[in-house]
Amino acid sequence: MLPTVLAAWLLSLTVASAPAPTPTASGALSEGKPRVRATLVSDVTQVEPGGTFRLGVQLQMARGWYVYWRNPGEAGLATEVVWDVPRVTVGPLSWPAPEVHRSPDGSITSYGYGGEVVLFASARAQPDVKAPLTVVATTELLVCEVQCIPARLELTRVLGVGPRQGDAAGSAALDASAHRVPRPPATAGLRVTVRRTTSFVPGQPFEGELTVERTDGSPEPLVRADAFVPERLPGILTVLAIPDGNGRLRLWGKATPDPSTTPPRIAGVVALASGGAVEVSAPFELPPGLAPHSAATQPPRPERTPGLPWMLLLAFLGGVLLNAMPCVFPVLALKAYGFARTVHADNGSVRAHALAYTGGILASLLALAGAVLALRAAGHAVGWGFQFQEPLFVAVLCGVVLLFALNLLGVFELTPPSHGTESLVAAVDHTHGPLRSVGEGVLAVVLATPCSAPLLGTAVGFAFAASAPVVLAVFAAVGLGLAAPFCALVLVPGLRTRLPRPGAWMERGKQLLGFALLGTGVWLVGILGSLAGVDGMVRLLAFLVVVALAAWSWGAWRRSPVLVGGLVLVLVAGWGTLRFTTAPAAMAGREAWSDEAVARILAQGRPVLVDFTADWCLSCKFNERTVLAAEQVQSALARTRTQLLVADWTRRDPAIARRLAAHGRAGVPMYLVYSPARPDQPEVLPELLTLDTVVSALERAVAAPGELGLSSPPR
Amino acid sequence: MTLLRSAVLCATLLLSAPALAAEVGQPAPAFDLKDEVGVSHALDQYRGKIVILEWTNPECPFVQRHYGGKTMQRTLASFAGKKVVWLAVDSTSHNTPAKSKAWKAEQGFPYPVLQDQSGEVGQAYGAKTTPHMFIIDEKGVLRYAGGIDDDPRGRSATPTNYVEKAVNALVTGKAVSPSTSDPYGCSVKYGKSS
Repeated sequence: MLPTVLAAWLLSLTVASAPAPTPTASGALSEGKPRVRATLVSDVTQVEPGGTFRLGVQLQMARGWYVYWRNPGEAGLATEVVWDVPRVTVGPLSWPAPEVHRSPDGSITSYGYGGEVVLFASARAQPDVKAPLTVVATTELLVCEVQCIPARLELTRVLGVGPRQGDAAGSAALDASAHRVPRPPATAGLRVTVRRTTSFVPGQPFEGELTVERTDGSPEPLVRADAFVPERLPGILTVLAIPDGNGRLRLWGKATPDPSTTPPRIAGVVALASGGAVEVSAPFELPPGLAPHSAATQPPRPERTPGLPWMLLLAFLGGVLLNAMPCVFPVLALKAYGFARTVHADNGSVRAHALAYTGGILASLLALAGAVLALRAAGHAVGWGFQFQEPLFVAVLCGVVLLFALNLLGVFELTPPSHGTESLVAAVDHTHGPLRSVGEGVLAVVLATPCSAPLLGTAVGFAFAASAPVVLAVFAAVGLGLAAPFCALVLVPGLRTRLPRPGAWMERGKQLLGFALLGTGVWLVGILGSLAGVDGMVRLLAFLVVVALAAWSWGAWRRSPVLVGGLVLVLVAGWGTLRFTTAPAAMAGREAWSDEAVARILAQGRPVLVDFTADWCLSCKFNERTVLAAEQVQSALARTRTQLLVADWTRRDPAIARRLAAHGRAGVPMYLVYSPARPDQPEVLPELLTLDTVVSALERAVAAPGELGLSSPPR
Repeated sequence: MTLLRSAVLCATLLLSAPALAAEVGQPAPAFDLKDEVGVSHALDQYRGKIVILEWTNPECPFVQRHYGGKTMQRTLASFAGKKVVWLAVDSTSHNTPAKSKAWKAEQGFPYPVLQDQSGEVGQAYGAKTTPHMFIIDEKGVLRYAGGIDDDPRGRSATPTNYVEKAVNALVTGKAVSPSTSDPYGCSVKYGKSS
């Protein structure tokens, strides 16, 4: 018997069954109207002793009101039916696939039924079943719209006993409901597999995959939104499934802080695009041979995984395009200048230069790939250009750029001392030995990394989520692409003759390029400033003065002791000055990105443009200044009520790295336009923005029609 | 319009769920809210005490059942002599301080009802239901999140009171177990854009 408190509570809020036992009852009064009506249905009017039949409770909800599934979700109360049928064994309740319901702000998810539902069970009469057979079904439920009202409905129906006599209306209602009950996968010709891809640690996030395929191996398309409705799962606090359109759901979730006594399982209902649903219940295990990685640091794999050859091609083309990006351009000009000098020499020398340059590029890119792999193995989230998040790296690079510039300006030479009688051409030759070409290759790579070119983002993003050999292959392809224009000059003889002939202009040209490199240095100092503040900038500039002093002394005296002394001086100065403390990010005036911010603004029905950027990313800054800040874009933002969010990756940020990885990228820039109509499918804009792309993407985001799966709430 | 709204809501979950708000074992989100008579309560000012947050809504039958059975009042009374602060929080977008005042007078409970009509604090804690209970230890770390007890249907004569269990574990220096449970009740009635 229920405690009196509960009984009073229920009585005060519900109209229980009418005084005389009836198969139908209404309850849950609100504003004087019942919000739910229940009817006891059966597929027979007369039960055969020893025979089987079905019993069900048909629930009809008022418009906009709904009752709950066996897992109510984040709020609510499961509907419960208790049977009392003498000398009849009633089986467990069958539940049609539930609808997903969300609170108006989207933060609370629950599972249930609006409109009408029949919860039913199969029953077996004992041979000694007595006539008349009185069936009592007590249904306890919570029915909600905005308000929630509990109800307890007691239904009674009398059935005859004797030769089986069907109830046509009851059978039809039960059959219709049985149709909506999720099937075991095998009877639907499907195979469902569940696997974990990470470790499963109490209190920690985990990831996994749920795959639905036909027994012939082809993928089964799933309903895009809310394809998976989970049961309450011991040890699992939350689990979220995102379909990738190919019958696979990526599972993200969090384990409860308290360890579970049972091994984790995934169970629930998967809705199929072809209609209907299948049930899932499987151990949530790590397949043998797959090493667990922590879900917190491992970026998720890109959703689409195209073939490696295609990615290598993209990487190569991306490398070629890198040559035209602003960060590589000074080095490119330098190299072009060097070529102008050497192309008119014999073929062998040109070939040596091209090979040395390519070698320098390849070696440094492979070194970079090695560093990426090492960091990844150590559990760090890294991406393209990650090294610019390290102040010491920026400082040392700045020193190298300064040395190159001073060399070009003629402050010092790397060659053995000359004796003053050398011709200008010979002097230029000396500064362009093959070793120099190697150095230029290295510098081109180092300076290229903060830039991302079109196509490159896709390829590198692919590589970062792939195995070690693939990382090396993709980086090598980028390198070959970067070196390609110069190799083309070597391989296509006609091109070379078009370059200007060397002459006295070259010395001036060389010095001019020195200034261009100093400009690159200014940019690097700026990056360091954003990483380590004014104090860091002053320290770097002091260090650069010492570097310049050492270079100048070598240029002036050209003796080994001077060189050694200079090196010692630079090392000591570096030790003394290059200690940076990274300052916290200042985001004044711009709204910072977070998944929550995106969700919040989308829930207001406004589109969102996310700018994934970093201070050291020249492509990003170029896009921001020339496109995002432009009046057309600004007015389009205002017109479409789009919120611009800035995800600043100047410093390491695992949340940003994960979001980049989710779109198959490993670096910035990345631009996402979220439409409130398709919030789980942001449009990814190209790396090089134009006014047109941005404005038309914003307009599409406003105009986009809604696309929905089975999740329309009972409203 | 309904379709559009539903689509937004779907994705809101997709985007927001992986980053859970308050986490057991982590510092509890700070707040500074006025109660039904306009007095400010900041989490910081209760450092050194165990703070119990109870998400509440006088309109919700589950809350009414627990108040009718004096669950909250009795639970608080069992902590007499311990440094425990009980704060009710109402994130219902359409409720008012006057409503809280009337409810408090009717039920005769001693603790304040913090007014969070914007839903900001509710969302920061990830409060889903009324009632939904959160327990913060003396150092400001969240130690329990979940239901008041293990009896959603109010059917058990001797339900396990998780809040009592958690607070008693904290004062005796033991680990809180369970530290989470499935909260039950009405959904928190947040406004559309909180």
